Amino acid sequence: MAWLHTWSGLVVGWVLFAIFVTGTASYYRTDISHWMRPELSDSSSDPAAAATRAGAFLQKAMPNAAGWSVRLPNAENPAVEVYWWPHPGGPYHHALLDPATGEPARVRDTRGGDFLYRFHFELSLPPIWGRWIVSVCAMILLIALISGIVTHRRIFADFFTFRRDRSAQRGWLDAHNVMGVLALPFHLMIVYTGLVTLSAMLMPWGMKAVYGNDPLRYYAEAGLATPGVAPAGRPGTPLPLGELVARAAAAGGAVPEVMLVTRPSDAGATVTAYFEEPMGLAHLHPQIAYGADTGSEIARVGKPGAATRTGAVMAGLHEAHFAAAPLRLLFFLCGVMGAATVASGLVLWTVARVPRGADPEGFGLRLVRLLNIGTIAGLPVGLAAYFLANRLLPLGLEARADWEIRVFFAAWITAAIAASLYPRRRAWSVALAVPACAFLVIPVIDAVLVGQPRFLAFDAAMAVVGLALVAGSRLAARPRPAESRLVEAKLSRTVEA
Amino acid sequence: MTSAALILSLLLSFSGFAALALSLDRHHRAAYRVGVPKRRVVSLRMAGWCGLGLSFAAAIAAAGWNFGPVQWIGSLTGAALAVVAIIAYRPSWLRNAALAALPFAAAALPLALLK
Repeated sequence: MAWLHTWSGLVVGWVLFAIFVTGTASYYRTDISHWMRPELSDSSSDPAAAATRAGAFLQKAMPNAAGWSVRLPNAENPAVEVYWWPHPGGPYHHALLDPATGEPARVRDTRGGDFLYRFHFELSLPPIWGRWIVSVCAMILLIALISGIVTHRRIFADFFTFRRDRSAQRGWLDAHNVMGVLALPFHLMIVYTGLVTLSAMLMPWGMKAVYGNDPLRYYAEAGLATPGVAPAGRPGTPLPLGELVARAAAAGGAVPEVMLVTRPSDAGATVTAYFEEPMGLAHLHPQIAYGADTGSEIARVGKPGAATRTGAVMAGLHEAHFAAAPLRLLFFLCGVMGAATVASGLVLWTVARVPRGADPEGFGLRLVRLLNIGTIAGLPVGLAAYFLANRLLPLGLEARADWEIRVFFAAWITAAIAASLYPRRRAWSVALAVPACAFLVIPVIDAVLVGQPRFLAFDAAMAVVGLALVAGSRLAARPRPAESRLVEAKLSRTVEA
Repeated sequence: MTSAALILSLLLSFSGFAALALSLDRHHRAAYRVGVPKRRVVSLRMAGWCGLGLSFAAAIAAAGWNFGPVQWIGSLTGAALAVVAIIAYRPSWLRNAALAALPFAAAALPLALLK
């Protein structure tokens, strides 16, 4: 079964590496978003008053929208995040509002950590395409994991084995095994639960057979959403949004996280209050729906059934919202180990196929080697460039958030192309030195341009990533025992000749 | 105190994994230049599995049956990675590191079980 493991891992390895890296970064999505919006400072504000002001803003922006969404300010997210859309299918407009004024906040235009989060499962492609590609890769990863376990016969005997002083191939195989085996529970969990979160898209047939083209009824019956209300067809006079926030807070026992307004101009408009998930593994959002005009409670999301809870626990495990800082760090470490397993597997493929002696490198080997460097060393360049662009692009730039993303891809592609021009022997060390320098520059630039003490931890993390890449670059520059033996053999042959 | 509980689980599973690693000939040789004596294999393995078991018990006692298993598995990965790093770079430190973790675990115990 070794061939199955080798080839299933190779064909999707590059995409998997990007999925692992951006997914791992997404454990710190809010921290990244905070760092990328340094203008927003932690300030407490009255959520009800902020909601009323946000409602007034949305009334001006799009009174006859299909829906508005208002994320209320809290200690973690000081701004009011609003979305509005003319049709259920979008396009979705977005703004960050100052809770004190209800006008767009004076904050640099960026997508922050949300870009990395969405890239993790949509790859910056049209959502359905991206999700399908990511799902197919995840399924192949599941095959690679299981065939890897079957192939790895000395799983217990070699549990702690990492022979770094032997041949390059032995060292890479050990690194691949250690990273894969030690975090195996995480790897299996993360790929399986990842597929479960997309299961409604991957396997819609059960839902289709019972509910036809009315998926909303399914979500209502599964205890995931409140049932929809038919439009009245005449204009209504909605209560201020803050009034409904106050009612929801009294009824639900906590300030809601998001208020969703459906068909705000209609007399049958509903306002659904979404609460933060209760403490637990499951990723569930309690909801209470109100009539926007009357302010009376229409429906409440009840206690979900066993199947819904099981799915919610799997989604919860995948996203780890429940994890406080120390456990989150372990999840992050496991994610890094996942990326390292993929990367070491990709490198191992080329190391195992290095031509003996002076034979030329074949096309396939050369292609895999360049894709490896372009992905494993290129993606970090893109990430560092994304963060640097956030600090360095002019604040008034038109469509600034899009430019940050363009910089991300441009830097990644440039790094990948440049890697193909480096001399073969030093390619890895040079290619890793580039992102190492870029990550080490981030704290310096941040200290000069923003210099806020609350970003010390983030800047320190960037420095740690930079130093890890420096270590990788130095490791790659070191002559390997196998190569030095090869050089000795060549020398002795020359001497004999 | 979930962080204290997590650190307790980490320390116990670290000591456990270190004992299990030293019960293997290759790693014992790396640490002491001789293979592991036959009579010590059993005691090292017992100590190792006890460490992992205690780590599980600590996680469950402190974090319950919902979060306990998640914390425990996370701590297993972290602890095993530390053991591998020590074996690869400073194998002779492994025994002392495993023993040094125990008093810290004892210190973390009251903090972890404090609700």
